[in-house]
Amino acid sequence: MNKPTASASFAGTGRPLHHLGVAEASRLIGAGALSPVTLVEAFLGRIAAVDGTLHSYITVTAERARAAAVAAEAEIRAGRWKGPLHGIPFAVKDNYYVAGIRTTAGSRLMLDHVSSTTATAVARLEAAGAILLGKLNTWEYGTGNGGVYHDLPFAVARNPWDLARFTGGSSTGAGAAVAAGTAMFALGSDTGGSIRLPAAACGLQGFKASFGRVSRAHCLPNCWSLDHTGPLTWTVEDNAIVMQAIAGFDPDDPSCPDEPVPDYRKNLHAGVKGLVIGVVRDLGPEGEALDAANAAALEEAALILEAQGAIIREVRLPAPLAQYRTVTKVINWAESLSIHEADFRDRSALMGQALREKMMAGFTVRAADYLAATRLRRSLVAATDALVRSCDALLMAGAFHVAPRFDEPETITPFTADTATTVFNVTGHPALSVCTGFDAGGLPLNAQIAGRFFDEATVLRVAQAYESATPWRDRRPAI
Amino acid sequence: MPATDLTSTTDEVRLYAARHGLAGFPEDQFARLAEIATMVRETGLAIPRMPSEEDEPAHLFTATPLRG
Repeated sequence: MNKPTASASFAGTGRPLHHLGVAEASRLIGAGALSPVTLVEAFLGRIAAVDGTLHSYITVTAERARAAAVAAEAEIRAGRWKGPLHGIPFAVKDNYYVAGIRTTAGSRLMLDHVSSTTATAVARLEAAGAILLGKLNTWEYGTGNGGVYHDLPFAVARNPWDLARFTGGSSTGAGAAVAAGTAMFALGSDTGGSIRLPAAACGLQGFKASFGRVSRAHCLPNCWSLDHTGPLTWTVEDNAIVMQAIAGFDPDDPSCPDEPVPDYRKNLHAGVKGLVIGVVRDLGPEGEALDAANAAALEEAALILEAQGAIIREVRLPAPLAQYRTVTKVINWAESLSIHEADFRDRSALMGQALREKMMAGFTVRAADYLAATRLRRSLVAATDALVRSCDALLMAGAFHVAPRFDEPETITPFTADTATTVFNVTGHPALSVCTGFDAGGLPLNAQIAGRFFDEATVLRVAQAYESATPWRDRRPAI
Repeated sequence: MPATDLTSTTDEVRLYAARHGLAGFPEDQFARLAEIATMVRETGLAIPRMPSEEDEPAHLFTATPLRG
């Protein structure tokens, strides 16, 4: 079989193979019209062509992927098609352990770390037939102080919409890879927005499901009580397909409840007629930082959903955004230091500035303040849950700004700090970042759709209704 | 609560670091550690305190379904 070039296209779509979505590619593979070997080679070619400047990957596992593609092709030809992820190439943030493959977490402290275990989410994807292409760039340990200092052992991932701009963090490579087509989908992790912020900056759909919905087992922890794992995809349907494979109880993750997993595509296209969607327009004084373009796109999104029959109701969060942010900071600092105390105590000189400064914060947190944060958290969870349960879903801002430029470093930290993503890390409700168009400069805009505990299906349904009514999925970055 | 000076000095954080076994910490980072310690103290005190002693923390687990 001839190896396709990086720009190889599938005749039935007219688009490069690396810009097919999961649902589209899986239909072609299932019908025998597209070979997993061809698809994987197209992605490896794409990586070879652009990743020297994009830096979405830390490690590419090309030979492992090729072997898996050959096996998938043989299985499918033999009539053993496993489902919509069989033969689909993906990649994971380099804080997911995969047995036998280096996991660096973007750090000098882990450059030679090879795990003997595989993250449950990765194992589930591979069992469903998906093909791992490699490990993706990340902020060090998947965390930091919000700044980017260009002092890590791997070059910083670049935003495919403008290579001079930041991808959003901390799942930097995941955002870059899915937007640029160096992976068909990716897994990231999210403690305060680290799936949703790269999705926002790179024009993707990024889903942080309910706390415990997707296993975190055998991922490098950042903050036990705020960490989530989940997918970044091009379309909402792709997200539903990936969620179907990775969601569900895992005895290796103590946060996972034994909640049944519904069929996420069953009502995906059911529309929003009659659904009550609470729109959070007023985020208090902190909300004044929201870009005008993101604010306008939020209003437009509400109108689009209303035009489809949704009942739009204006609502407010039960507490100032500042309270959610402060709770997140203090819990995150303390738990992160607890996890990485030995590294900070003995090897802090090897850390980049962003991680070291976060560890410094954890080093000085008082126990009484940490417990005050967890006590307030319980109150915030109850009050926010009452709001969420009064609607079918919430629509509100996520990241307030478009992707900032690297040569304007003073704008990098505000991109991470000026958000409403932390609300749902504090409370644990599912929240999806959806692309809501582009600003005048062609940079992606975003909003969040949040839902009730373990009602990911409704979040996806609302996002699908919005996506289907807008043209944003027709545009790809020029890289 | 009486007025308190929340500022940490470099000498104070150096002593604190030594007491808690911080080894090999870059010398040029102690001033930054003092700044961060001050910011953390201010952030912690900004958290509204829950009014009742029965307002318990958000727990990481409940005993009944405890697994793993």
